[in-house]
Amino acid sequence: MKTTRDDHRIAWLTGLAILIHMLESTLPSPLPGVKPGLANVITLIVLMMYGWSAACWVTLLRILVGSLLLGTFLSPTFLLSLSGALTMLAAAATTRLAPAAFGPIGLSVLMAIAHIAGQFAVAYTLFIPHQGLFSLLPLLMTAAVAFGLINGLISQAVLRRLGHPTTALDPARREHP
Amino acid sequence: MKSGDYLIVTLAAIMLIALYVNMWSAPQQAGDRVRIVAEGSEPIIAPLDRDHVYRIHGRLGDSVIEIHQGRIHFASSPCPGKQCIHAGWLERDGDFAACLPNGITVTVLGRNPRFDAINF
Repeated sequence: MKTTRDDHRIAWLTGLAILIHMLESTLPSPLPGVKPGLANVITLIVLMMYGWSAACWVTLLRILVGSLLLGTFLSPTFLLSLSGALTMLAAAATTRLAPAAFGPIGLSVLMAIAHIAGQFAVAYTLFIPHQGLFSLLPLLMTAAVAFGLINGLISQAVLRRLGHPTTALDPARREHP
Repeated sequence: MKSGDYLIVTLAAIMLIALYVNMWSAPQQAGDRVRIVAEGSEPIIAPLDRDHVYRIHGRLGDSVIEIHQGRIHFASSPCPGKQCIHAGWLERDGDFAACLPNGITVTVLGRNPRFDAINF
């Protein structure tokens, strides 16, 4: 099997994302479901530099490998992680309609909200179908927006350092980042 | 920041305000049935819209549970702490009161009372 330069890049970035994912899982959380999601800084950088499909690879591989390493594969944690990632990537896909209009901060906030929305929908339908869960939603969304902003700012700083224009790339330019 | 970024952040702020207003001020969904479970007997499921007084036999004696105008409460119970009575009137989906000394619980059920939670 031949590997391309892009494959290697994705592998390295996935490795980095997994490392952040693992480190973050040791942090205590003030509220179930509230996490900074710092690994998504990598998702954002990949999205901006290498496009949407690379971001999907990095995110889904991170969740798979991260869950295997943490022992949560196929558990509720894993399902919530996966559903959040899928809605997040779907939201990111919609911004490709106007790639020049969005920078890392807007994307980050949008993706964080989509992430929580997907997780919440799955948590409510599969695990805790209790009306009381909706009282948590404002807090979860506040955390999502706050961490979305922070992650967006981090991504923007990293992208600037890498000398990358902070606009989402259109697929045509993908070959020459 | 790009124009799309400002749009997203503004919409996010509006969404947060709407969420707090909707989820924290509007009353929760009203329940439509109640389930009374006493130790050693079949659970009773009753509609909340029909007034009724139940005398449930528990471990210590009889607890009186009253349904009145779409709400339910422990009217009296032979327990020492009276926590169940202090729980007050229950009316919303998921509301819950228990008299542990007497072994009786009351749960208000909404539209989808399939289960409370799943654990693995």
